[in-house]
This record gives sequence, C-alpha cells and structure tokens, in this order.
Amino acid sequence: MTLVITVKNVANGATVRMETEPEERIGEIIESAAEYWKKDPGAYVLKKGKTLLSASSTIDESGIIGNDILELIPDPEGGST
Amino acid sequence: MLRAGADRFNRMRMIEFLDLDAIHECRCLVVGAGALGNEVVKDLVLSGFRYITLVDHDVISRSNLSRCLFFREKDVGSVKKARAIASRARSIDPDARVRPNISRIQFVDMSDHDIILGCVDNIDARIHINSHARFLSIPYIDGATYGLRGKVQTVLSDGPCLQCAMNRTHVKQMERHFSCSGDDVFVTPIPSDITTTAVIAGMMVREAMKIVSGRSDLCSRDMCYYDGEKGTTELLDVPVDPTCPNHGGD
Ligand SMILES: [Zn+2]
Repeated sequence: MTLVITVKNVANGATVRMETEPEERIGEIIESAAEYWKKDPGAYVLKKGKTLLSASSTIDESGIIGNDILELIPDPEGGST
Repeated sequence: MLRAGADRFNRMRMIEFLDLDAIHECRCLVVGAGALGNEVVKDLVLSGFRYITLVDHDVISRSNLSRCLFFREKDVGSVKKARAIASRARSIDPDARVRPNISRIQFVDMSDHDIILGCVDNIDARIHINSHARFLSIPYIDGATYGLRGKVQTVLSDGPCLQCAMNRTHVKQMERHFSCSGDDVFVTPIPSDITTTAVIAGMMVREAMKIVSGRSDLCSRDMCYYDGEKGTTELLDVPVDPTCPNHGGD
C-alpha cells in the first residue's frame, strides 16, 4: 500500500510530496530528499516531531502514516577549522 | 558585597548540585583546538576544570582569528593550535593544567580520561571517538556547528550513540573528504561564527558539569539541536539503532 508523505526542507521551508511503501527504509527517504533539493554536500537527518528517524527502520516500523510531515535537517559537522 | 579574598567559585557553589571538588579533579580530554575547542577550554577552565588534555595537530590560520579567543595574529602559520590554547589558558586560572597533545585523535590513548569533549570538524573523527568512548565507557559530549546551526549530543554507556543517528549521507560526506585527499581527511571550509560556536560550547561544558557532578540524569541524552536563525533549541529523541555497530549491529 502506497503512502504519501510530505518532506519539509527546514533550510528553506520548501516541501515535497513523496510516495513511499511501508517497507521502504528511512535512509532511502533521506537520500532521495537530499538529492531532490540538490542540497549542499553534507549529512542530513530526518525527524518526525521531536524524534529523529532511524535510517535502518522502515516507514512502517517508524510509525509513519499517510500525510505525515517529516522534516529534513542538516546534521552539523563543523567545529574545528 | 564582594570581598577581595572571596573564593573564585563562590557563585558556582550556590548551584547546589554542582560538585566543585569532582570538577577540579576531573581529567578531561578535549579533541580539536579550533573554534569550538577554544570556547570549550575557556568554559572548562572558568568552570573549575583543571586537568585538560587538548588534542590537535594543526597550525593556526588567519581564518581562525574571528572565532578563537586564545589565538593571536602573530601565531598565524607557525604556532600549533593546542600549544597556543594550553599556554594562554593559565592566564584565566593559574591552577589550570592544559596539556597539548600534537597528534591526530586516531593515535591518542583515550583511556586515561574521565570525560571526552569532541570539538572536531569531520564525521570520521566523530565515529572514531564515539566508538572508543563507548568501548571504554567514558562519557562523550560531541558538539558541532554549521553556520548558525549546531548540535550537542551526549553519549553515555547506555542509550544511543552518534552512529545511531547516522545514515548514507554521512557515509557520502566521509567519502567526499577522502576522495579529495587520498589517504588523509580533507575538510572543506564550513560556515562558522563565534556566536553559534559559543552557544554550542557552553551547552557542551554544562553537560560535562552535570555528568562530573554525578547528575547524568539531568543530561540532554539525545540530540540538542540549536537553530540560531530561528533562535530555537530543540531536544530530539534518538532511537537506538539495532544495526549500529556500537549497539550490536554490523
Ligand atoms: Zn549506536
């Protein structure tokens, strides 16, 4: 059963609707979204509300349902240079 | 009224849960002596931490000067970052002993420390510190910034670790670093300013104070995400990833 979710890019507020399957992994959603926006090279994480979603978990295991809004946020890497 | 001979930590002692004796005795390992490292060491020393090992092999560059309290124009191009911080930190508190270790973290024995504060600028170093800290059961506080955003994650012997929150985009980022330089970690310049750096460093040292005072229960156990553009701080739950190599995965 296909689920339609919304991924929001917190860097610019843009959103994209994505069709997913319950067995699709969160890691694939993160990669797809990062590539969709051709974001700056870097690492990103996906959250639902106040919870980071585990890359290895599936949509189903993460408790995601149709029309959920997930947020893609950059995972900061700097500090030393 | 202030007395001239008052204890320097008089006001801190009024925060009841803080254990100043434990803080004085704690052996801290700070990894990275750049922008975050400067602020973290400053906050550690002002907070009463006295035994600090500071690891960094790099030399001060001019672009460091806008964010690094302990660096001077005359240092550029010749003075090691860790040495500059170590020599000047004692001007804040003569009892502070900051020992520079001019090395990469991959060559440092972390076992002789009570707490680790990560102030590095690449995922490769984070993964190294994260796995060793967990193996050695040493609390690890990781800080990171990107422009006006930043995060702090505290890794204790139970609960999630840094790798639990990573995915393929982290792997790709590491590959980008390696592909630019062959066998070395090449780090592209990352947007950075002192205000965000100071916020993240302050949060890191505050977590250290809680842990060393025996109040790990007060720690931000998961990821504390700071967005300086919006002026928000959000605590995000990080689930333990069963596939994480530090949690029994592959
Ligand atoms: Zn883990």
